[in-house]
Amino acid sequence: MNSDVKRTGIYKTISLIILVILAILFAFPLYWIVTGAFKTAASINATSPDWFPKEWVLDNFRKLFSKQTAPLWELGIPFSSKFTEDGNPIIFTAGPVVPAAIRWLVNTVFMAVMAMVLTCITAAMAGYALAKKRFKGQHLLFTLIVCAMALPKQVILIPLLREMSSLSLYNTIWAVIFPTVGWPFGVFLMKQFSEGVPGEMLEAARIDGAGEAKTFINIVLPMIKPGIGALAIFTFINSWNDYFMQLIMLNSTSKLTISLGIAKLQAENSTDFGLIMAGATLAAVPIIAIFIAFQKYFTQGIAMGAVKG
Amino acid sequence: MARSSNLSSRSKVLVRRETRSAYLFLLPNMVFFIGFVVIPMILCIYTSFFDSTMGKDAKDIFIGFKNYAELWKDKIFLRSLKNTFVIVIVSVPAVCIFSLWVSAVIYKLKGPILSTFRCVFYLPVVTGSVAVTVVWKWMYNNYYGIFNYVGKGLGLIDKNINWLGDERFALWCIILILFTTSVGQPIVLYVSALGNVDTSLVEASEVDGATHFQQFWKIKWPLIMPTTLYILVITTINSFQCFALIQLLTSGGPNHSTDTVMYYIYYSAFKLYRYGYGNAMGVVLAIFIALLSALQFKLAKEK
Amino acid sequence: MKKVTKKLMALGLSTAMALSLVACGSSPEPAQTQEAPAKEPETAPATEPEAPADNAAADTAESTEGSTSDLNASITLWTYPIGNWGDSATVDSLIASFNAAYPGVTVTVEYLDYTNGDDQVNTAIEGGQAPDIVMEGPERLVANWGARGLMVDLSDLFATEAGGEIYDSVESACKGADGKYYEYPLCMVAHCMAINQNIFEAADAMQYLDVENHTWTTENFLKAVQAVYDSGHENVAAIYCSGQGGDQGTRAIINNLYSSTFTNAEHTAYTADTPENIKALETLYAQDGINFDASINGGEEITLFRNGTLAMSFCWNAAQQTNTDNAAAGTTNNGDTILPMLFPSDDGKTELCGGIWGFGIFDNGDQAKIDAAKAFIDFICNEPSQVKESVKASTYFPVRPTLTGIYDGMETAETMDMFSTYFMPSMGDYYQVVPGWAEARTEWWNMLQRIGTGGDVTTEVGTFVTNANTAAGAGN
Repeated sequence: MNSDVKRTGIYKTISLIILVILAILFAFPLYWIVTGAFKTAASINATSPDWFPKEWVLDNFRKLFSKQTAPLWELGIPFSSKFTEDGNPIIFTAGPVVPAAIRWLVNTVFMAVMAMVLTCITAAMAGYALAKKRFKGQHLLFTLIVCAMALPKQVILIPLLREMSSLSLYNTIWAVIFPTVGWPFGVFLMKQFSEGVPGEMLEAARIDGAGEAKTFINIVLPMIKPGIGALAIFTFINSWNDYFMQLIMLNSTSKLTISLGIAKLQAENSTDFGLIMAGATLAAVPIIAIFIAFQKYFTQGIAMGAVKG
Repeated sequence: MARSSNLSSRSKVLVRRETRSAYLFLLPNMVFFIGFVVIPMILCIYTSFFDSTMGKDAKDIFIGFKNYAELWKDKIFLRSLKNTFVIVIVSVPAVCIFSLWVSAVIYKLKGPILSTFRCVFYLPVVTGSVAVTVVWKWMYNNYYGIFNYVGKGLGLIDKNINWLGDERFALWCIILILFTTSVGQPIVLYVSALGNVDTSLVEASEVDGATHFQQFWKIKWPLIMPTTLYILVITTINSFQCFALIQLLTSGGPNHSTDTVMYYIYYSAFKLYRYGYGNAMGVVLAIFIALLSALQFKLAKEK
Repeated sequence: MKKVTKKLMALGLSTAMALSLVACGSSPEPAQTQEAPAKEPETAPATEPEAPADNAAADTAESTEGSTSDLNASITLWTYPIGNWGDSATVDSLIASFNAAYPGVTVTVEYLDYTNGDDQVNTAIEGGQAPDIVMEGPERLVANWGARGLMVDLSDLFATEAGGEIYDSVESACKGADGKYYEYPLCMVAHCMAINQNIFEAADAMQYLDVENHTWTTENFLKAVQAVYDSGHENVAAIYCSGQGGDQGTRAIINNLYSSTFTNAEHTAYTADTPENIKALETLYAQDGINFDASINGGEEITLFRNGTLAMSFCWNAAQQTNTDNAAAGTTNNGDTILPMLFPSDDGKTELCGGIWGFGIFDNGDQAKIDAAKAFIDFICNEPSQVKESVKASTYFPVRPTLTGIYDGMETAETMDMFSTYFMPSMGDYYQVVPGWAEARTEWWNMLQRIGTGGDVTTEVGTFVTNANTAAGAGN
């Protein structure tokens, strides 16, 4: 018994040491991004790397911001070109002209938040209907949803591109948002959560004369709130990190997201790693700040999604 | 309500009302789901039977199963299929085992230390795939990447290795990055699952004189089984979807050694202008994934 | 029974939704509208599709008189990084002068890169938002998009006075197999190679080259590489092959080493499998200090050359020599002298791979835009007061003999003179217009990768030629 305790003690210490080393290795790429962004060109291309910047410079950021410019915010209304007389979309523009990199950040935030909001609303409604209503085609629909969940988006890239083109949505942020909202994971998750809403409560609400909308808002929503939180976090991170759909659907410099922007920087400047790291810093720091600030909710949300998923 | 009506017609009214409200609740989501997932899927299957290319006067020509037949003769496709499965088969168990081990070590630690560890392992996920990829590209660089520097410094390698330009290493380099960006979520899940294991069960077994190892396999492992299955499913899907890494790092090279089906679809469409062929590939891949998912679901049900 | 009806219902429902969605979305005309102001073709005076030649000429006349045109449209211009045509400040000033003559035409510019640019254009074509004008070479505009029927015929521009002056070889490169012109050229250059003179001097390798004429023989080239390698410089040169970027350099070194060709003279088939080419590949593979590097492309090779990692670059030209982004023109980042060289050849006659760049117009089905785009090209390439600035922006050479003294009075004048004296005369056959070129390029770097990882040269070259010629046949 005593030796067993001792052995576990040693085992634990060794594991912890290994773990600390691993943690350092995991954090290293991020460290390398941020320090790389502030290194001089000579330091970046040195064959024996500087583990810590000898000299902190802002050259890379200056270069990043001296590229093209775009208005801070610009938003086309989806499908609007179908209804205007001249066939041009309705576009709102606001804010001063800023470096394109800032605009990419704005686009990314807009895309992620919009996808999150739309997904949460539509998925909560649909999940509730699937879990608590009996209707024709329910079984078929659910099977379809489960099947589609595992499907990688790349599989449908060509038809989706053609569809977006015929809807005049190609090269608008909506072309990225809409397929994300349509992705059935959210409905699946919300269905699982809605199953937990007791039928008696719904029945009671109905007897009290509450309408469908009222029942949903007053009874169902509060009960599946944690689930919605989890889904919101998932959708936000996924659409922030998604690259493929953006690559296919977006084209003009002013419409890129930050991920695409960095990819473009890399393609244009291949080995100017300082500049690329400056872009990567710009992309990574805001989302990491959000993550650290809301860490508790993130981890809870992720864990919750798994329990129900 | 309509008290005079008989039971069956009343229930009919109810059913109709319920159906209508269900459809209304479903409608907003279905517009997106049907419009941007189901219709493209159907079009994808449809186009896969055509010889479809880019061009003004290009007409889609119906060729039946020819695209599918060609797939099995296309060495690059077979190679990319193999690579895809190598990625899945290597990274899925590696991610599961590694994250389980990390979670087992950290889940009993004090709050702030636990969250620090969890946070660090989750960092590559939130950093974003593109930002992570570009820094790895730099670290792998043949001439001034840190891997060659450290490798040479420690005497592990005696000559610079062209990590991403060498057929022997490129795929493994990609799997390594995929690995670091995949373990974050499983660790969070395992930590919470292990934390939820009923301590009284564990204590009882301790009284019975069970070793730590036995404790783990006999008590904790079955209890966290649902979490493991969930992790298996999401990691498999994630590994199949690996695209940014390949497009940004190697473009499938050298010599197609890092081509995955995902990337090859993109390549066929926009480099070779063969849309029908690309779609056929997509259909085949979807079938593979469906089979795999069905298998995993079946396993889950048996549990 | 009940289950079946259930399923049918669901199917019907989804189809109905699908249909309603498609119905509200489907666009009747193929033309995709862009963010353009109102455009009514009849209000634009210079739109006479029946007589486009006159139209272009009329535009020229109009603008030379100093009056402004009231052509009205919004067009998009996508440029590949051709000298400073990839730099927004330069392009903006060119567009500003265009707008002085054509205030009604708004030009929106996108800057492409050689890594993803093609994919970007291809997705845009498929997405229904192809640019109006694209600036690149005949291998893309003529052999690829032109051959696919996506481009507008530019014969009328060649019919202008300026168009008639264009060198015949350049003109024929801009002509598609169907006899239509899909590119109107602005500038050209001969791609060459370069060495790091300081590294060569340190290795005592300068003895192997003819500095005066910038030439060397194959034998001396190999001796020089060996000397530099022996002096402790591990990476002398790289046969870069991660993608197609800069592949003219790898083709040129291989074709010239033992004087062979890449295609037949008729530009109908690929001939890279000649014994001379195979010998060249085997020689390069066996040579110390030359790596087949599948992790870099041409642009990255240049960076490595500039930062002193590599002692020579196969991806050089006049624009690279005069580039001052990182260091003074003609020097590496740490100040070593860069000496441009012709590719080594065993028969003393180097054939340089030419680069021709110009404009093509995508047929987006909107005549007003096409006219505006033609006016733009005409202004940039033909307008006497403008064309020198346009060529200067490219940092390359004009395509018309009458345009001289473009770089006079500039710091780069001497370098540009040296290039026109020693390099431009060696410009070889412009073969990049063989059918199936896009596919053949892809096959080429794949082949280099296979050879680099130990594939048998004869077999791999054979595979390349077979695949490329299949594409050439299919591309018709």
